[in-house]
Amino acid sequence: MADFSWNTQSALEKALVPGRHGVAGTQAGVTLEEVRDISLVQVMARRGRAAETAKAAKKLFGIEPPRAPGAAVARNATLIWSGPDQFIVFSARQADGQFAKVSKAFAGIASLSDQSDGRCLIRIGGPRARQALAKFCSLDLDDKAFPLGAAATTSIDHTAMNIWRGADGTDGHAVFNMLVFTSFADSLWHTILDSSLEYGVQASSAHAA
Amino acid sequence: MRIACPFCGERENGEFTYLGDASPKRPNFAVDGGESPERVEDAFHDYVYLRDNLAGVMREYWYHGGGCRSWLVAERNTVTHEFVSVTAAPGAGAALAAQAGE
Repeated sequence: MADFSWNTQSALEKALVPGRHGVAGTQAGVTLEEVRDISLVQVMARRGRAAETAKAAKKLFGIEPPRAPGAAVARNATLIWSGPDQFIVFSARQADGQFAKVSKAFAGIASLSDQSDGRCLIRIGGPRARQALAKFCSLDLDDKAFPLGAAATTSIDHTAMNIWRGADGTDGHAVFNMLVFTSFADSLWHTILDSSLEYGVQASSAHAA
Repeated sequence: MRIACPFCGERENGEFTYLGDASPKRPNFAVDGGESPERVEDAFHDYVYLRDNLAGVMREYWYHGGGCRSWLVAERNTVTHEFVSVTAAPGAGAALAAQAGE
């Protein structure tokens, strides 16, 4: 019997080709970055336990989870609204099990699920990011409608997506974080890349910090 | 057409799925409560199959599957497609369930 071992690999192992794509120019209009080694924990308050869940989150992270669509940044994690009485805990993956730590804090009051390998995080930025996004995302991502810290659950290409706006890039332009299912990530990467080609794309991958 | 989800805000209707009339209530007979089988059968027939075909404002169930995955109750004018109100259906968002009034 042949030996077989599982290796972890990114959902974009094949699709993501680092470097410049599309229109060549001095500056890429869109930067696409896959953020690897992420930790995601979905937290859903049990019926009638939303207040206790918020309290437990405050104790663990030092901040309350957003009650309305939004992303709250704590020291070691970002809490992203993902539906009524539920949120996602996003952080960089660490050697020790974060899930065990988080699940202990919410024991009995919320239902948790580890989504670290279930979702793929794609960051889009650059001066033309909004134009590229407008081709596949129906949300109004203007500064007024979607400021820093805004978040939403929506669909792109008939596929669920959690999107939130993080800190602006070093170039001063808005950066949008897109969480998609890993099984759709390859297909969506092509959708996103194709939408961005006319502006010139700089693609890369990075480790979650 | 855009629908104002009470949780997410205004979204395109492609994110939502239509279920139908929100008014039928599931018959609630006690098990072995002595009710005649014909009456139980009639009540379930009406609940499953009978629907009013209103021209005007009606209460409907909608599902925000492309967003927050909540069940909603919408008052919609079937003639003009105008949405009068959209609220959380019972059980959608534990904290808001009571406000839906059911």
